[in-house]
Amino acid sequence: MKSAGLIFSLMLSAVSLYAHGALPADTTDNRDSIKYLAGHTGKRVFIDKAKERNYDKRIHRYRKNWAALIPTEIVLQNAGNMGLLSLGMGWNYGKHRQWETQLMLGYIPPYKSNRGKVTSTLKQNYIPWSIYLKDGNAFEPLRCGLYVNTVFGHEFWKEQPHRYPKKYYDFLSTEFRLNIFIGEGYTKIIPTNRRKFVKSLTFFYELSTCDLYIRSMYIDHKVRLEDIIGLSLGVKFQLL
Amino acid sequence: MTDRRLPLISGHWGAVVLLMLLSGCDNPFDVHPYDMDLHGAHDINNTNIKKIQTACEGRDTLRIAFISDTHGWYTQTEAELNDINQRDSIDFVIHCGDLTDTGTTKEYIWIRNYLERLRKPFIALIGNHDFLGTGDEAYSWMFGDKTFSFIVNRLKIVCLDTNAMEYDHMAAIPDFTFMEKEADNSAGLFDRTIVVMHAAPFSDEFNNNVSKVFGYYLTLFPNLLCCVFGHEHVDTTRTIYDNVAPFHSIDCAQHRNYKIFTITPDGYEVCRIDF
Repeated sequence: MKSAGLIFSLMLSAVSLYAHGALPADTTDNRDSIKYLAGHTGKRVFIDKAKERNYDKRIHRYRKNWAALIPTEIVLQNAGNMGLLSLGMGWNYGKHRQWETQLMLGYIPPYKSNRGKVTSTLKQNYIPWSIYLKDGNAFEPLRCGLYVNTVFGHEFWKEQPHRYPKKYYDFLSTEFRLNIFIGEGYTKIIPTNRRKFVKSLTFFYELSTCDLYIRSMYIDHKVRLEDIIGLSLGVKFQLL
Repeated sequence: MTDRRLPLISGHWGAVVLLMLLSGCDNPFDVHPYDMDLHGAHDINNTNIKKIQTACEGRDTLRIAFISDTHGWYTQTEAELNDINQRDSIDFVIHCGDLTDTGTTKEYIWIRNYLERLRKPFIALIGNHDFLGTGDEAYSWMFGDKTFSFIVNRLKIVCLDTNAMEYDHMAAIPDFTFMEKEADNSAGLFDRTIVVMHAAPFSDEFNNNVSKVFGYYLTLFPNLLCCVFGHEHVDTTRTIYDNVAPFHSIDCAQHRNYKIFTITPDGYEVCRIDF
């Protein structure tokens, strides 16, 4: 009995080793998904049957959806009412990858206050055209969009605290800022043989302003457009 | 990707704007509305108090222009300051608070740029709007202490921070210890007093639990001529306490009027100026 148990366990480990070696590349392709789950694409009958199972379709969809959450880019940007420097990740999507959503963290140095502050930004970009020039260079003549910035700290509030009478600072949140921007970009595509982790680099600039400044300009025309527009420079590392 | 010519042509506007921005401004980068990235004149009140004391030395009549609540109304503020500049008899200017509307660093720089056009020295009190975000820190850096006093020609001007609600009533606002200290005239340095504040007692911003106590502390000041306040965007004179001198309010810049106080050895006169 003892030897039978030993042989059985040896057989099991051999099977598991074989299955491990046969693991396919990790892709989001439906067939690969099934391969991964079954561990093998041999002639065994149950695998062919597994292809038809709703479970596999569902699990494939599940994997594909989660895979879509892998950030496709890393972005580094200065100013733009988000802090001195912001670092974040983003996702680009759409037929021409013309849409971009970015999540960033920024830092405001203390300057004349007693401490630095952290901000977070959710940014939506629209880049309608990318014009391929030559030798792996491309030009994006328009980038535009809007973003919401949150600044962390006890001195900022989402809406006026309860101590104030109703509508005291009704128009205002000192914590959340809605910003709009317009800009341009220039992309350098890295040749396939020289790629390590980054597929392409995009250098861009943006001219932006925020709700409070637009409000100031609306209240009094002495506040001119050039007073409220700020420049922001950035670089985007395209990974996927 | 569709029509190559259109975007290439439109691409040049950006370069032009970029060049304009880089050449036109000293810092084209906006870090944050509440970044406190301040430069230039700071501790303005202390600097200008010295100027006032030097300029007014030995004068028996003082003319003070009181303005208030300029918020973001720069057109009216500019007209107001131009009007003050045309009147050579004015000795100095006191802004009763609400220099800004949302307390952003940019707004502080903008209002300073306007106030610096005044030919006569100015001082400013903090208003409730000036507290928003990092506004109170910006005020402290740019103007100095929120509660302060100075003596010019034996007239003591006491400037009080009365914006209790901005502290959620958790601070000594109004500061009675300060008031008691300032009321003490044992050194005999002054004969008369004027108390200036942004929000008057019994207004929404004041700590009304101590409004009557505040009235009592005002009686401690030797020869209190009057109290001056802003905040309410009205032109009025009010007797708040029976045994205390009247309270004069200063209207907001948007309503295009301010007040000149002429302090003579016999008393004082208030003159409303419409501009």
